[in-house]
Amino acid sequence: MFEMHTAFAVYEQLKKEFSSPKADLQKCGQYLANLKIYLTELSFLLPGDRAPDAQELLLAREVLEIGAQWSIRVGDIPSFERYISQLKTYYHDYSSNLPASARMYPLLGLNLLRLLAQNRISEFHTELELIETDQMGENVYIRHPIQIEQCLMEGSYNKVWHSRANVPAEEYAFFIDILMGTIRDEIASCSEKAYDSLPIADAATLLYFKSGDEVTAFASERGWKVNPQDKKIYFGVTDADHLDIPADKVISQTLEYARELERIV
Amino acid sequence: MVETRSSKAKKESAESGKKPQDTDKEAPVPMDVEKTEEEKKADNVAAVLADIKQNINLLERAVATLEARFTTRALRTTASIRKRLTPEILTQAINIYFPKDHAAKDALLKRVGKASDEMDVDQGEQKSDAKDGRGFLPEHEVYLSYLVLLYLHDQKDYQQGMQLVIELVDKVQALNRRTLDQLAGRLYFYFARFYELADKLAEARPVLLAAQRTATLRHDDDTQATILNLLLRNYLMFNLYDQADKLVSKATFPENASNNQMARHMYYLGRIKAIQLDYTASHRHLLQAVRKAPQSVASAGFQQAVNKLAIIVQLLMGEIPDRAIFRQPMLRKSLVPYLQITQAVRIGDLAKFQETLAQHGATFRADKTFTLILRLRHNVIKTGVRMISLSYSRISLRDICLKLQLDSEEDAEYIVAKAIRDGVIDATIDHEKGFMKSKENVDIYSTNEPQNAFHQRISFCLNLHNESVKALRFPLDIHRKELANATALREEERKLAKEIVDGEIGDDEDMGEDW
Repeated sequence: MFEMHTAFAVYEQLKKEFSSPKADLQKCGQYLANLKIYLTELSFLLPGDRAPDAQELLLAREVLEIGAQWSIRVGDIPSFERYISQLKTYYHDYSSNLPASARMYPLLGLNLLRLLAQNRISEFHTELELIETDQMGENVYIRHPIQIEQCLMEGSYNKVWHSRANVPAEEYAFFIDILMGTIRDEIASCSEKAYDSLPIADAATLLYFKSGDEVTAFASERGWKVNPQDKKIYFGVTDADHLDIPADKVISQTLEYARELERIV
Repeated sequence: MVETRSSKAKKESAESGKKPQDTDKEAPVPMDVEKTEEEKKADNVAAVLADIKQNINLLERAVATLEARFTTRALRTTASIRKRLTPEILTQAINIYFPKDHAAKDALLKRVGKASDEMDVDQGEQKSDAKDGRGFLPEHEVYLSYLVLLYLHDQKDYQQGMQLVIELVDKVQALNRRTLDQLAGRLYFYFARFYELADKLAEARPVLLAAQRTATLRHDDDTQATILNLLLRNYLMFNLYDQADKLVSKATFPENASNNQMARHMYYLGRIKAIQLDYTASHRHLLQAVRKAPQSVASAGFQQAVNKLAIIVQLLMGEIPDRAIFRQPMLRKSLVPYLQITQAVRIGDLAKFQETLAQHGATFRADKTFTLILRLRHNVIKTGVRMISLSYSRISLRDICLKLQLDSEEDAEYIVAKAIRDGVIDATIDHEKGFMKSKENVDIYSTNEPQNAFHQRISFCLNLHNESVKALRFPLDIHRKELANATALREEERKLAKEIVDGEIGDDEDMGEDW
């Protein structure tokens, strides 16, 4: 059990460093990298023949949880995703032989928010199914992303924008910021369809920009026409639905019918 | 549930007319007043034994001709045997068919729970029938064990059943006979069932996954279909939609699986797709599940489950389900909460929707439709927006906000904009004046839509034809007879030709002589 002790010692260091107010994130990253190597020598990756020891599992879970939180602090989303997918085993499959973790729901909530921010709605719902239904209404960490999703689906972007003020944990703000970008794109694509034209000032409020310049920059990015005289944005009215007769399609379909009919007769 | 049970009993009595075996054996009993309880019992035993014997013969034929059809027939009649099984019948059957010193015999008898002395008596009686092991096929052993298994399942002796089923699965795997495939499928079903009853479903997964692999390699369609469904059920039980989806995308469901398995599979696919927000695909699968499922009372539970899900998915797609679904006698009672939800969505009434959700929350949770129904909230709003757009050609955002009970005008603007983008309504917003203006309806016949619908229907018909041609069954070896006929004909022709040639030559000769 040599590795276990070393791993534990490094874990203690990591915990101390990470929980201190001025945590040296680079150092933490190093600790994490080392810990992962130690863990592979325990029953971390390959369960092997023997039943995993509860203490080992607990250690691994703690390390992964800190790793996930660390990824958020350094803003490394792919790394966060990896940590979460590893953690899921501990949360679901080992749930019977481990005490429940206090960090479980905040992290799961964060993961949900991440999926929303990345606009991966179907995965969001798949993950949601794994969470008990009674937690959905009661747990603040879970309720928050669920409410945001509902607002997103309805189109109440205003509420999402304001939800930034009452996040359940500081880490949530990180994803909310990313989410804002997603929302802006959503609003933009809605506006394209819904309006013929829009004054620049109104567009700024709609898209949550602070100044008109930002709007013009955004408009050129999306290929909108801005008329500086009357200060309006014109969305390219693409009414190009003049109908072609789909000749190729009709011919191939008719030929297919003929062939099939021949087979029947 | 209670209602279905009682109606089930009713239907059964009605159905018994359809099954000649049942009436033949049961009808005379009440008429013969003199017959004692003993005799009735004996009658029943004899009848069941006769049925078992028939199935044993069918299995023998299946092995001899390598025709899966006979096994299917044997398994089909098993359902009626199952209801009448008693320990006496099973003991007798085992004694009759098992060779005297077969290894598994005693163990099986013990499971049935008969004392050993009685067994000896039976054996003495039936000795003449017992075969000396030459005619006894592994199929017979598995089939009789399967009967014991069914009996244990119905008697709720889950521990014994589980032990037996584990042994049987091992045995079937070791035997590796193609004629066992269908029986193996059934065995795996009960394997998973016993694990589920023992609440150890997660532990059954590795065995099932391995079996699925083997079945796929051996092109064992029945087992493959059964196990795939079992695995999906297993995953969905734990809400592991991710794994289920991966399994479905990696494993192919055999095309010629039985209808029942197909219906189940479609239901599971529908579930997965619904969770992943692919409602169109989900609805298609569920519709197939409803159509493929047997319409009898025995499958009432399945139909209810499928219809519940189908209704929610249809609502999520923005369609309103047919009112007739809610009126079907088999479904009516269990669909009441869903009817209320549908009504709330149809009129776009948010308050009523929330009320129903609160009232029937527990039911929805039990049905595992709760999270899906939560998603319906925005559909209620969408329907509301659509209704407004249909009835007004121009309406201020403020009025929309009031009508839909939204919090603010800004919200209303975003919601309407989103509805426009999602294609729910065809309208434009005038931001400066703050109103929404609906566009004129386009004439659908000026588009390619009718053409597409037409194509869809034609290809459906053609497909139907092709598939029915494929489904035609030709008796085995019949072509040989035709072949023999043809050869005989050809032989005759040849003879004739030869005669003609001979005749000609003869004629020539004759002529020569004449010359």
